[in-house]
Amino acid sequence: MAAFAVGSLFLSAGLAGLTYQLTRGYLIRQRERSLLSQTYANARLVNSALRSPAPDIPRLLESVELPAGSNPLLLRRGAWFGASVAVGPEAIPSGLREAVMEGDAARQRFALQGVPRLVVGIPLPAVGGAYFEIFPLIELDRTLTVLRNSLAAAAVATIVAGATVGRLVTRRVLAPVAQVSAAAAAVAGGRLDVRLDEGGDPDLVGMAVSFNHMTDALQARIQRDARFASDVSHELRSPLTTLAAALQVVTSRREDMPERAQRGLDLLSGEVARFERLVEDLLEISRIDAGVAEIALEDVVLAEFVLHAVRSGPAGVVPVEIEANVGRAVVQADKRRLERVVANLLDNAARHGGGVRRVSVERSDAWARIAVEDSGPGVAPGDRERIFERFARGGAAGRRDEGDGTGLGLSLVREHVRLHGGSVWVEEAKGGGARFVVQLPFTA
Amino acid sequence: MGAHILLVEDDRRIRTSLRLVLEDEGNTVDEAESAEVALEVLGRRQADVAIVDLMLPGMDGFELCRRLRASNDIAILILTARADSHDVVAGLEAGADDYVVKPAVPKELSARVRALLRRSTRPGATSHHIFEDLEILPEAGVVRVGGVDVSLTKTEFGLLCELAQAAGRILTREVLLDLVWGYGYFGDGRLVDVHIRRLRTKVEADPAHPRHIVTVRGLGYKLEP
Repeated sequence: MAAFAVGSLFLSAGLAGLTYQLTRGYLIRQRERSLLSQTYANARLVNSALRSPAPDIPRLLESVELPAGSNPLLLRRGAWFGASVAVGPEAIPSGLREAVMEGDAARQRFALQGVPRLVVGIPLPAVGGAYFEIFPLIELDRTLTVLRNSLAAAAVATIVAGATVGRLVTRRVLAPVAQVSAAAAAVAGGRLDVRLDEGGDPDLVGMAVSFNHMTDALQARIQRDARFASDVSHELRSPLTTLAAALQVVTSRREDMPERAQRGLDLLSGEVARFERLVEDLLEISRIDAGVAEIALEDVVLAEFVLHAVRSGPAGVVPVEIEANVGRAVVQADKRRLERVVANLLDNAARHGGGVRRVSVERSDAWARIAVEDSGPGVAPGDRERIFERFARGGAAGRRDEGDGTGLGLSLVREHVRLHGGSVWVEEAKGGGARFVVQLPFTA
Repeated sequence: MGAHILLVEDDRRIRTSLRLVLEDEGNTVDEAESAEVALEVLGRRQADVAIVDLMLPGMDGFELCRRLRASNDIAILILTARADSHDVVAGLEAGADDYVVKPAVPKELSARVRALLRRSTRPGATSHHIFEDLEILPEAGVVRVGGVDVSLTKTEFGLLCELAQAAGRILTREVLLDLVWGYGYFGDGRLVDVHIRRLRTKVEADPAHPRHIVTVRGLGYKLEP
């Protein structure tokens, strides 16, 4: 846009300037030439008239044919004769006068009484004098002014037109590109139903068709994944529901069973419970992967929430320290997911960290943090990313596995926190042990 | 306690196992493998609670909830496969009182059924409330708007009574979940929201601009005396 305006500015201003210079030169030359030839003709006339025995010089000068406003001047034997009082011999520039006295014809443009004029001088050696004519160039000057103004106006009009056309063209050329860019951003943001208009600009139909094919394929793929997660959900939940219900019926009669049957039943109960958790976690994670996880955000008073979550969690009595500036700070959170986050961190501390040492809630202007510290050996710096990966169990030195976790706890923590627009990491707690930190943004 | 329960579930194994669990708790259970059969069974014998799987062949669970709600004063508990789906809200809007997510059904189910029945038999607050055109007689189980009796479900009635009891004070969703549904802090706030919406359509002249049951943004609900 700006380039178009600058381009048309230079182009039109340059062209207008050039046109003016050329036209001005041409017009001035034309005018001078015609005045020159006219003066020569008059000079010849005067010359021949002066040869007569007793010339009537004033009449002679009056009889000379001249354009309006022009003045003839005659120098004869040292005396000046003129037809007008207004323009006398003193008006003739001295340089020109001297040149003519020395026998050369000359012309010169000059200004007199604010009017541009041309003076032409022709020596008349035969009669011992010289003949001058002074012409006002006011007409020419006016013409040039009009020309200059017209050209300036045309240049301005061209610049405005150039800028306008440039803007229209730019918009026309760039609009489809902007559309594609916006559509791609929308798709990247999860809006998979966005499509481009395939009937638009012929040059861009190919791109639009390819783009739409790509998003169709992407959408189909994601829908397939989501459907698979949902199918698996139904297929696994039904037998698990039956299993859990039947197990409950048997468990309520546990006391009537022989000791060996009881031990068998306890194993069964433990594994069914673990299986339930595993299926639950897998489905949770596959829904997040498929982009179909629905997050139900609501205002949550963070301190109150953490106290409830810890109290109802698996860890028993745990000291919870709420920093003074937290107060009744509210975060936007999905309570079910955030409760899983806290429960999984407590579970992780109990399972791998030798028990929870303390939980703290902290805040700044931009974020709120929930930190869970354990009494274990901590996490080696090299493992601090890896432990958030799925099924990343057992590898870290000193982090033994009891065998009844799902291996998905920490990766789910990360996924849930990400859904909230936050982040989670592990660092070393003061005085040893691991410190898991969940940071949530204050969106409000 | 011996409640009478109608169990509507198309999977025979789930139906059988849940029946065993419910009977262990001292309830009487009728089974139905489809919504159509459920309506037929109810035609013969009333039930206190209907447990409805949302995914049923033929008429689905949502439609069954609407039918039950239209003609019966029965407590409805839905079974769903996903807690975070829109199914839960749709089921509640169709008239369900509460929900349980598979597969954690057996543990939860008995507790939920007990909570529903407790609500049905709880001796309500004793005082008689009048808020302009809205009149609540907790003991008689009667609500009148402009002198006309309004039919509320037991959950809606319980919710209204709790709000009336605390008239002018804000009740958070957590408190309402505890008072009406017997959930702790981590109960699903959508239960409250959907029931408040339904309650407004019945007792408010203009449910979109409620006069009595007002939302206090970010805090909860209160009954404006």
